[in-house]
Amino acid sequence: MPGERAALIWGVVATILVVISTIGVFLVAPEDADQGVIQRIFYFHVAIAIASLVAFAVACVAGILYLRTRNARWDDVGEASIRIGLLFSVLVVITGSIWAKASWGTWWVWTDPRLVTYLIVVLIYAAYFVLRSSAEDDRRMRYSAIYAIAGFASVPLSFYSVRVAESFVHPVVFTGSGANMPGSMLIWFVVSQAAMIALFIALLEVDLVGRRSERALRRLALRLENA
Amino acid sequence: MSRRRQLAALVRKDLRLELRTRETIVAMVLFAIVMMAILQFGFGTRDDDLTRFVGGLMWVTLAFTAVLGVGRSYVAEREQRVLDGLLVSPVPRVVMLGAKAIAIFLYMTAVEVIVIPLVGVFFVQGPYWDAIGWIAIAALLANACIALSGTLFSGLALFTRARDLILPVLFLPALVPVVIAAAGATHAVAGGPHDMSEWRGYCLFLLAYAILFSLVSVATYDAVFDD
Amino acid sequence: MSGGAQYVVAAYAVIWFLVLAYVVVLGARTARVGRQVEAITRMLDRREGREGDDAAGGAD
Repeated sequence: MPGERAALIWGVVATILVVISTIGVFLVAPEDADQGVIQRIFYFHVAIAIASLVAFAVACVAGILYLRTRNARWDDVGEASIRIGLLFSVLVVITGSIWAKASWGTWWVWTDPRLVTYLIVVLIYAAYFVLRSSAEDDRRMRYSAIYAIAGFASVPLSFYSVRVAESFVHPVVFTGSGANMPGSMLIWFVVSQAAMIALFIALLEVDLVGRRSERALRRLALRLENA
Repeated sequence: MSRRRQLAALVRKDLRLELRTRETIVAMVLFAIVMMAILQFGFGTRDDDLTRFVGGLMWVTLAFTAVLGVGRSYVAEREQRVLDGLLVSPVPRVVMLGAKAIAIFLYMTAVEVIVIPLVGVFFVQGPYWDAIGWIAIAALLANACIALSGTLFSGLALFTRARDLILPVLFLPALVPVVIAAAGATHAVAGGPHDMSEWRGYCLFLLAYAILFSLVSVATYDAVFDD
Repeated sequence: MSGGAQYVVAAYAVIWFLVLAYVVVLGARTARVGRQVEAITRMLDRREGREGDDAAGGAD
């Protein structure tokens, strides 16, 4: 089965990349002159944040494709992507909060645009599952697809609104990682990013294989009942 | 019938219903006033000066009022089975969307005509009507945002179980950027000397929000009422 | 460990823990599918009236 093979391959790729990037982040990458050791949180923090946005983008595209084709497979892709994206966003909020504690001495700062934006993103996509649980079958898939599209439209709006507000309140916006970091750091950002994207694809593939077998099983059970 | 006449007829239907019963707008205004009072009592128990926050509190209140009004917006259609008739009639879905959005826009405007000048007394410093005028422009843009996203989300919530609970869960996270921008624009002009570049930035953001959500709504609204 | 290292460890521990928990959830679903397949197989075995060791052992 092609799905299973993809799941296996991506699982292996993700594992290797995660191991390499973890080693690199902790043992190879140089200490940040400004922030010291806590800057190492950023490697995965930023990578997971971007991977979660990729997940939501995939869900948005899957939503569009579902509305076009009405193929339940796209609903599976959408839900699985958003579930992983939500997991990643929660991780972004938690690791961001830990970084805030380490850096500013407090777990939560309402004026930090990154933390606040991700909290909004978590809320937006948590609502997706509330919506799913309150409709059935065809309607559930349709509503989920529409919400995945509308939700993905809200994400840049949330990002931008928080930053507009921030730029007026605090002229200096904290930027995650600055573009002028040395190459020895940048390479580990890139590897971490690849690891997180691979992790997303691997989790997605495994999830899809599971969903497909579940669906096949349901069909089988139905046929046996009718027989 | 041309699209424009269909649109006008549908908007007229909503407004005539509202003018006969007056149940939605009166309830929305009362709700907004009670909510403002509750917020004041909740926050004002210490002797702090709340003047700085009143503009923000007003937009929080208006956001909840919007949820209330949007939640009511399809009640007549659902309860009197008007929707069934509308859906089999040759009215394009986009016209239904537009009519509903215009109705919500008008409801919100009606509420704000009362609430903003009233609450403005408590926080506007400097020339009163001047500030109210600038706030009104931002409010109209915010209403467009609320109307467009509200129409989409109330359409999604319409046939779900626990409809009244689903709508705020879907709608409020999407409203966060609107509240941020509208409150920001309000604060920019309410505190005496106007900060017009800040006001303009927030208004442009609201405009971008409205355009983005109108695109999403037009693209997906056919699928909302598909059965 | 230099200052703040415990926070870095905590952050990565949370990441590992939650991702692993997610994989466990996926695994649990696969296990459930497996159990149901087994149940269906047993049912089919019974229906066909075969009294193999497998079916007898599983259907007690």
